[in-house]
Amino acid sequence: MQALKHFLLRAFFTLLFLAVPVLGVWTFVKAPAWHVWFPENVSSYGGEIDRLFWLITYMVTVVFLITEGLLIYFFFRYSRRDSSRALYTHGHHTLEMVWTAIPAILLLVVAFSQMGTWAKIKIDLPEDSPYSAAHPMMEVYGSQFDWRARYPDREGNFQGEDVIETPYDIYVPVDTKVVFLLRSRDVLHSFFVPAFRLKQDAVPGMEIPMWFEATKVGDYDLVCAELCGWGHYKMAGKVHVLPGEDYEAWLEGQRNALYSNGSED
Amino acid sequence: MTTTALEAKPLGIDPPGTVHTHHEHHELGFIRKYIFSTDHKVIGLQFLFTGLVMLLFGGLMAMGIRWQLAFPWTEMPVLGKVLFPETGGVVTPEGYTMLFTMHGTLMVFFVIIPLLTGTFGNFLIPLMLGAPDMAFPRLNMLGYWFWWPGIFLILLSFGAEGGGPAAGWTSYPPLSTVASAAPGSLTGQNFWLLSLTFVGVSSMMGAVNYVTTIVKMRAPGMTFFRMPLSIWGLMIAALLQLFALPVLTAAGFMQLFDRVFHSGFFTPADTIVNSASPEAIGAAAGGHPLLWQHLFWFYSHPAVYILVIPAMGFVSDIISVHARKPIFGYKPMAYSMSAIAGLGFVVWGHHMFMSGMNPSVGLVFMTATIMIALPSAVKVFNWLGTLWGARIHINTAMLFACAFVAMFIIGGLSGIWMASTPPDIYIHDTYLIVAHFHYVVFAGSVMAIFGALHHWFPKMFGRMMNEKLGIIHFVGTFVFTNGVFYMMHQLGLAGLMRRTADPYAYEVYARLQPMNQFISYCAFGLLFWQIFFVINFFGSLFFGKRVGRNPWKACSLEWEAPSPPGHGNFDRQIVVHHGPYEYGVPGAPEDYVPQTQKLPSGVGAH
Amino acid sequence: MSRYSSLAVLGTALLALSAACRFEPPRPILRYSLNSKEIAKNADMAGNSAHQEHLLGALEFLFGTPQHPNFLVLPDWTDEEPEFDPNYWSLDGLSEAEKAAMRASNARAYAGQIAAIRAGDFDSVEKPRYADDLWEDWLRLVEERRANPGADRNWIEEGAELFESYYPELTVSAELYRQQCFHCHGSEGGGDGSTSQFLDPLPRDYRPGIFKFTAEQNKAHPRNADLFRILKEGIYTTAMPSFRRFTDAQLHGLTDYVKLLSIRGETEILMIADYDPYAGIQPETLIENYRLVVDRWRNAANDFFAYEGEIPESTPERVAHGRDLYTSEQGANCVKCHGATGRGDGESVKNNPKDAIDEWGNPILPRDLTRGVFRLGRRPIDLYRRVYAGINGTPMPAHFGMQITEKDGTKRMLDENDVWDLVFFVRSLSARSPRAEPAHPAQEHP
Repeated sequence: MQALKHFLLRAFFTLLFLAVPVLGVWTFVKAPAWHVWFPENVSSYGGEIDRLFWLITYMVTVVFLITEGLLIYFFFRYSRRDSSRALYTHGHHTLEMVWTAIPAILLLVVAFSQMGTWAKIKIDLPEDSPYSAAHPMMEVYGSQFDWRARYPDREGNFQGEDVIETPYDIYVPVDTKVVFLLRSRDVLHSFFVPAFRLKQDAVPGMEIPMWFEATKVGDYDLVCAELCGWGHYKMAGKVHVLPGEDYEAWLEGQRNALYSNGSED
Repeated sequence: MTTTALEAKPLGIDPPGTVHTHHEHHELGFIRKYIFSTDHKVIGLQFLFTGLVMLLFGGLMAMGIRWQLAFPWTEMPVLGKVLFPETGGVVTPEGYTMLFTMHGTLMVFFVIIPLLTGTFGNFLIPLMLGAPDMAFPRLNMLGYWFWWPGIFLILLSFGAEGGGPAAGWTSYPPLSTVASAAPGSLTGQNFWLLSLTFVGVSSMMGAVNYVTTIVKMRAPGMTFFRMPLSIWGLMIAALLQLFALPVLTAAGFMQLFDRVFHSGFFTPADTIVNSASPEAIGAAAGGHPLLWQHLFWFYSHPAVYILVIPAMGFVSDIISVHARKPIFGYKPMAYSMSAIAGLGFVVWGHHMFMSGMNPSVGLVFMTATIMIALPSAVKVFNWLGTLWGARIHINTAMLFACAFVAMFIIGGLSGIWMASTPPDIYIHDTYLIVAHFHYVVFAGSVMAIFGALHHWFPKMFGRMMNEKLGIIHFVGTFVFTNGVFYMMHQLGLAGLMRRTADPYAYEVYARLQPMNQFISYCAFGLLFWQIFFVINFFGSLFFGKRVGRNPWKACSLEWEAPSPPGHGNFDRQIVVHHGPYEYGVPGAPEDYVPQTQKLPSGVGAH
Repeated sequence: MSRYSSLAVLGTALLALSAACRFEPPRPILRYSLNSKEIAKNADMAGNSAHQEHLLGALEFLFGTPQHPNFLVLPDWTDEEPEFDPNYWSLDGLSEAEKAAMRASNARAYAGQIAAIRAGDFDSVEKPRYADDLWEDWLRLVEERRANPGADRNWIEEGAELFESYYPELTVSAELYRQQCFHCHGSEGGGDGSTSQFLDPLPRDYRPGIFKFTAEQNKAHPRNADLFRILKEGIYTTAMPSFRRFTDAQLHGLTDYVKLLSIRGETEILMIADYDPYAGIQPETLIENYRLVVDRWRNAANDFFAYEGEIPESTPERVAHGRDLYTSEQGANCVKCHGATGRGDGESVKNNPKDAIDEWGNPILPRDLTRGVFRLGRRPIDLYRRVYAGINGTPMPAHFGMQITEKDGTKRMLDENDVWDLVFFVRSLSARSPRAEPAHPAQEHP
């Protein structure tokens, strides 16, 4: 009876610990069905980011299953009643070297394999774009608690009377490498478009050039990703990706609307 | 003793291993014995009780956050009408920012660090080293009492004009420096800064004491590599505090000057906040917000290792005792804790990948951060090695310690995602980050604290905690903790941002409310479940089964002292012959050989 | 036994958890309160809570509660052709273009639901947020379809039409207001929500019925389109964001609720001013004041003005003439408030305290024109309207028709061309100014 009770005790806690990796993997598998998942990637480099994410996920899952598995197995196996003593060992030198060297190599490989993507997204601006840091397509300006997109006037100036300013809605052409400057009026904000895998803090006092290329027409949420005050949660925006001609038409319409006589208001 | 008085007492107190057989001191009154005590054990318990109360406050803040995320803009029960009367009990947007700021601040500075280093550091260090007290007992006492102005100020900040600080526990400027930027930045933020200064001073006093004690007051025969890993953990944490904390203190003063004297360290030129002109907010000088981030994270990243390294040490000790097996790879364990701490000084930029810092620097930080996974992995492997071939006794302490390992695996592995800069573009400031640090700090350190309390309770109070209640507490805490924080990984994958009072109006987050509700229910369950711990802990103080010196049959020195130890700790001469993990020694009469006993001949140990 | 008891306790807790998944916590019950500033002006009201309760009850009779707001519909309004029902104010007043835009906005917002309906998959239609009445209508339709499978109705078309033509009821708009607007604008729209004390400028107090940001002259009330525009554009440099995240229908519904709050506020002010402590609240007075305020809003469109034809182009001569008008004391005399350099530091603020307070009683300074920030809009026509008609609620007066004396001594009235000249001059102040927002920062990205 005592043996049974002890067995049940061991089994109970083993199963409790086992539930974590089992349920853990299960929730990852079921999450898309629960609609708790990545939004669809619609940016050119988003695919690379996703691929790196999945590479790390698979590696990490393997390690997770092995280590948790061993933990659970050892817990169960070595908690049985046994009057003999535990294995008397203080370690194993070679084993230590092996399990230091192999992860070290793997981790360095992981680190170095990502540098190219990072450089492409954040360090360099694309050379084959019609826009550049000196002549960006637009400025995105964060303030408490609104995003504004500013498009230059016909001469390309961002100062002056004919600059187009739109709150909340940001229009960009599809399949174009868009370079823009990110600015902030007051405190730190962060420009985050989940569907583009794009994020950058907007720092007051800095103009930060960013780039992306949207690959699909549609409307995508923009959220502020750095605490900027009590209204941080409502600092929303929408990025509208339009076909090239529609974008041009929109911009032209905005320029004309500046000089409207107000009868449509 | 025939040596002169000066040589006999180089530090002003008796050398380690001294036997106290006669009363040299007059009887102390109640105040000097229990309130302004210089006895490290009393101070340790003072940290414990105060820390547990602060844990309750921090937990209540978290409940407010979880309520708002589960049921935005509805009446919050219990606390709602108290905190937010003008809205009918509904969390206000500015109140929400205050809730998560205070939750983070309280938990990091007022709960985990005091409970890990303050409680166990104070209690265990002299005992495990065979010393009668700390190197500087009065400094120790001051260290505890300097914490109280910090507590007082942070609690007072709730009532400040504009409410409590609301710029996040990270307190980034200009949000935190400009009064018009956030309600909490009117005066609450000043209290925050002053409070943390006191907390920092208290920590520094403790850190100086710990390092000195460990270096100078080990019992004869106790070499560095014969110290329990708990001591290694505490020493490394103390060194981290010593080197990193001054940076935070300096940064805190810079921010205070920005706020009070408009010095403009962190406020860029031409910033206009909430219609306050640049001149009014000190923006004329032209500072840089990133300067704060560098200074803050230079401390706060080592700080997170302070939050976990002592816990790792305790877990090593607990596992070894209850698995009746030596720690597998003692030296690698000690070295890897040191490596984590050392590397921890050069990875602070991983909090700033998206901050506007030069992205090339990000590559360096990425590599260093990814490499920190290596010593952490080595530790996990060594814990597994300790369990292999063991004779595991299932009790509450062991369960919490094994749970620490299981949870730390998750927390540590999830860190690799965010260490990698391209994925971090998506992950930064989402719930994946929240999941990661809650796994390491809550599912890790707090579980280790619970385990350590169960394990060292007999030594602290001479009684055992109730195992039944302990197991009930463990099971519920384990289940609910995973329920709360595992799902946050999913939310992070969906891109859910942190610190967002009502995310569901965004199309991209519109379907996330059910999962948030599930998490909130688990969170309420988790808070409720701690009743079992409270009953067990306080009940056992008065009604727990009395035990002798060494109920766990453990090797390390603290179990040589009476339970609880009296003034001066040990009642016999302490000489150390070997390391603290001699369990299952072949040829020994019992399955453990205390550090003060020699090993059987033929058995070599360091 | 402890593990089994812990299992039992845990099991119960999880069962409770799953039951709780259906749990919907209550929304707070709020009550409108009275305008304390106005109450304080009337000695008979102030300090007499019975009178105040009486007034509250009267206003509740007219306007309902925050949970169930409702305009009282007067009998002669039902007799009108077409019938006027203030509870559907905006909906009835939408132009064809606005209606089409509203449908398009609904189609975008409910694209997922509409796609599911058109595919015949009625079960996977998700509940939209902030549209409880739409959801109830949808559930009713689903129930009818389930109960009458053979009925000769095009369920798909009806279902899609429900979503595409959705317009919120006042109750639903009130709930949207509570979640999105209330914490700044307050329960009665008094600009006194919990957040408001931390904002500069303060959120609008709707109760006096004065709105700055309109396309109206003669200090008229705003039209629906004016309120709608504010919700759409936000007001840059204030804490009022753009609310384009909501559909056009929801924004129109919000304007309805704002109108209710404003009309309630104005009625309340009139009732407090008219209060006779011996006679109490007279129903006739109440209805009369109510009708008066509503009519002001109904007639708002009469004072809408735009510019006929294409707006003129700026030339250096016109800018120079604008400068003359700006600086001359016999001209428009803008210098008095806006200062010689346009920074809003004219002497009138120091000399005449009335020029430094707005009609809500808050301090206000003349606009710094060199910053290029114009809260009411930065198009030329927006500035034209401001100079022409002034800014409601502020010391900025209407300039059209004011007496000016030219340099050569001729007296005439300021006309449209003069207004344009002033507009062009004002725009030139910020066009190339280094002070213009957003200023380019001193530091560049490294």
